Parts: sequence; C-alpha cells; structure tokens
Amino acid sequence: MKFYRSIIIFAAAVMLSFLAALFENRINPYYFQILIYIGINIILASSLNLINGFAGQFSLGHAGFMAIGAYTSAVVTSTLRISGDSIIDIAAFAVALLLGGFAASIFGLLVGIPSLRLKGDYLAITTLGFGEIIRVIVQNLDFLGGARGFTGIPKLANSFWVFSTVAAVIFLIANLVNSTYGKAFLAVRDDELAAEAVGISSTRIKVIAFVTGAFFAGMAGGLYAHFVTYINPAQFSFLKSFEIVVMVIIGGMGSIAGVIISAVLLTILPEALRTVAQYRMVIYSLLLIVIMITRPQGLFIRRRKTGNIVVPKARII
Amino acid sequence: MNFGGLVAVSDLCFDIASDDLLGLIGPNGAGKTTVFNMITGIHHPTTGKVIFDGKGLVGMKANQIAKSGIARTFQNIRLFPSLTVFETVQVAFNKNVKYGFAGAVTRLGAFHNNEKSIHESIMEVLDFFSLSDAKDEIAVSLPYGLQRRVEIVRALATKPRLLLLDEPAAGMNPSEKVALMSLIKLVRERFNIAILLIEHDMKVVMGICKRLVVLDYGIKIAEGTPEEIQKHPKVIEAYLGEQV
Repeated sequence: MKFYRSIIIFAAAVMLSFLAALFENRINPYYFQILIYIGINIILASSLNLINGFAGQFSLGHAGFMAIGAYTSAVVTSTLRISGDSIIDIAAFAVALLLGGFAASIFGLLVGIPSLRLKGDYLAITTLGFGEIIRVIVQNLDFLGGARGFTGIPKLANSFWVFSTVAAVIFLIANLVNSTYGKAFLAVRDDELAAEAVGISSTRIKVIAFVTGAFFAGMAGGLYAHFVTYINPAQFSFLKSFEIVVMVIIGGMGSIAGVIISAVLLTILPEALRTVAQYRMVIYSLLLIVIMITRPQGLFIRRRKTGNIVVPKARII
Repeated sequence: MNFGGLVAVSDLCFDIASDDLLGLIGPNGAGKTTVFNMITGIHHPTTGKVIFDGKGLVGMKANQIAKSGIARTFQNIRLFPSLTVFETVQVAFNKNVKYGFAGAVTRLGAFHNNEKSIHESIMEVLDFFSLSDAKDEIAVSLPYGLQRRVEIVRALATKPRLLLLDEPAAGMNPSEKVALMSLIKLVRERFNIAILLIEHDMKVVMGICKRLVVLDYGIKIAEGTPEEIQKHPKVIEAYLGEQV
C-alpha cells in the first residue's frame, strides 16, 4: 500500500540504526564520531530548513535552541543519575531528550512571536540576538556550570538514538511538506498577502515553524550533549548558528534532500581538510565562496521549472 | 478611509446582493482598490462599516475575512512563485483540512481520506476550468491570461460567497478578454456567487455587469445599470472633463 510506504521506510531506518548500534564498536572511533556529527547536523539543518526554507523566516539563532535542548536533557539525566545500564535508563534518556525538545520549543515560541511583525534583515538580527541571549544566560547560571561548562554527562547517545531521530525528523518534515497543510508554509513564504487572502493564518504558520524547528534542534542538542559528555556555552555561539545556516543555504532552502546532502558534505569537509591543517579554514571558506558564485540557489532547488510551457485551451466554452 | 492626511475614500455606500455582478468603476486613483482592501481587511476603515451577511467585518484579520466567504484577486496577479498550478489551488483548499498538524506529520487517522477528497476536488475544479493539462506547471511560468485564470480558480477554491476581481482584464489582449468574460459568466452560473468587479475596460464592464457604482476621488458619483451610467453627466465629466 503506497500510503504506508513512508511508515515502512521509517521503521526500516529505525531497525537499521539499532543494528548499527550493535556493531558500532567495530568502527574506527574517529570515523564513528564523524558519523554521529553527520546525524546531528542533519537534524539541525533539517529543522532550520523548516523555519528558513519552508516558512521563509530568516532565523540566525538556531544554536540557541540546540543549547537549551542540550542543557535541559543534561540536567535531567544528571539529576536522575542515569547511567544507561537498565531498560528504565533507556526510557529515561528518551524522556530527557524529549524534555530537551519541549524546552527548546518553548523558546521557539518566544522567538517566533517577534517574527510575526519583523521581516527579513530585522528578523535575522532579532533571532541572532535571541541566540546570544540564551548563550549568555546559560553562561551566567552557576548550576549549569557557567563558562566552565557542564561535565560528566553520561554517554548515552549512540548510533541508534542519533539515526532513529534523524529518520523521525526527516519522516515528519517530509510528511508535513507534502501535505495540503504543509503547502500553507510554502504559500506564506512565497507571498504572505496572497496566502492570507485564501484564508491562511500566516501568524499560525510562522509560530508552528519556529516551535517545530526549535523542538528538533533541542533534540539534536540533547543527542550532542550525551555524545560529547561535556558542554559549555561557547559551543552554541553564533558561529554554530551560522554553520547550520550555511548547510541550509548550500543544500537549497526548502529542499529536504539537498539539505541532508549538504549537512553530510559540510560535516565531512572540515575533517577531510585536516590534512592541510593551517589552510583548512581558508580552503573551506573558498569552497563556500565558489559554490555561492556558481550555484547560489544551492544544490537542489525546490522549484521545478519545466522546459516547454504546456499551453492548455485558451477558451473554455 | 483616511491614510494619515490623505482621504482615499470618503463617501461611499452600496449594497451587493447574493447574485449580483456589480462593477466598481472610476478614473485612476479614485480609490477602487482601497475599497477592496477595506472589504478584505488589508486596511481597516478609519470610519464606516462593512457588513457581510449581517456581520460586521471591520477589525477582523484578512485571513478570517477570507474564511468568512470573501475571496479576491489582485491588480498585479499575486501567485506563489514556487508552486505549480495544482499546488496553488491546493493552498486554497486548506479550508477543507481536518487533520491538523499532528495528522500532517504522522499521516495517521483522517489524513489519507481527507487528502484524497481534497485531491479529487482540486482535479474537479482544474478540469472545469481547463487547467488540468497545466497542473504540474509552475503557475507563474504560464501565459498571462492563464495566470489570471489560475488566480481566479484559487480564489474560487475557498468556496466564497463574494468574489472580488481587481482589474482582471488588465494586461490582456482582446481574445484573452473575451475568454475572461466567458469565464466570469461561467463562474456566476455554476457557482452562484456575487461578484464585485473593478475594471477599466469598458467593453468588459458593459458586457457583463448588471449594475455599476462609479467612484471619483473617493466619492460615489453615480450608481445604476450600465445604460444609465453611460449617459450620466457626472460620469462623463469625471472621465472626460467638463462639457464645454
């Protein structure tokens, strides 16, 4: 049944990631780390794509949502002293991740509300500000470790958790965008006035985009925290937000596949360039410039333009 | 309607019945599009009322007014640049979506049946307006006359009781205008809705409107049938200047 195809694919992906987790000890730890980062970046880029690419709201504070998810889930697992040994611990980790997502989505709401009145550059600056505010607040909270960071997070994130979440995020976003409900997002992005004229509440759409995007970014943050086991505010600065924005732009705003591929490429690239050590960032930046000059719309564009225009009947009667 | 010093519309009062085809005409800058914007909620009238079906519309948000049954097209066609014809009409069918956000992301429950019936309704309306062949074309890549048709179909997809057409014939060649006139007549017959039309092309206006309201500098100067208006001295004066 065609309708259940996507559910089957999703279930298969989850099972595959479970199997992968069983064998992950066999992989070179360095490569394994890159794989995990790829997964986390796919979630971050896809969730930002929902806000920037699909709803057309220029957000530069995505790392802030990630930070909230990271710290919230870390606090939950530390307070409950979860070590990952029992089944209860596994369930508790899932809860911690979800709580991280929910906490981030609350901030998504807070950030989303000014977005209702602001457009373009103004919105970008505001979201950037929010991201920084979150980072600075965390930095000044001693019980979160402040600038020294939060240590001792249990290493609960493995390929099962990361890649099931990747599968879930892609599944949910693809479902949304390919539905009639999801077309409202694209309409608001393309022409807000025209969208309102057919009954779409652009306010609701924008808020939903921010809340959902923030939720997934929060989950990514939780996974990140429980992989690196040590987090500090500096990891969630504007630079991180910018990295994610670059992935979305290179991938093609509004293209699910493009953003995934670009997240993979842009995670691998800095690592692959480690061999040229001091020129790494120079080459990375040059590559970005070249891509932007030669293909500014990104790898995949959402808009399909067919070659010949089919001209249907000009008269109806 | 007072735009901080510039009064765009100051004295206008008219009714439109549920089966009317009313033309709103007047020289450029008379305030006609402003009237549309006041009805659809883009501007809030600084004075006066807009009553639809016994309900006051002033103060409602634009999308709420659209949901109450008023649809419109725009003077400069406003389609969605990245959407196909099918998707453009699909956006307007969000009125029929019953499954909400949870249903959209999980596709459980009512999703599939709901989507199926929406798809069928879209194909039905595209078929009726001879747009099925173009359904997967990017709407803004179509010839101008067809873009206008898509815009009208999108407006009709919201099942409005009142359709506002803002200069639908603008930018069209004579054969496109003829097609447009039959389209509007067809819409009236099939959908039983009231139509309020702003138009400059007198052939189109006189050809399809039952009644006319003439606006000049924001003030209604005449109202009546096309024949009456054609002979009305104030109208002639407004368009051509004073009789010598």
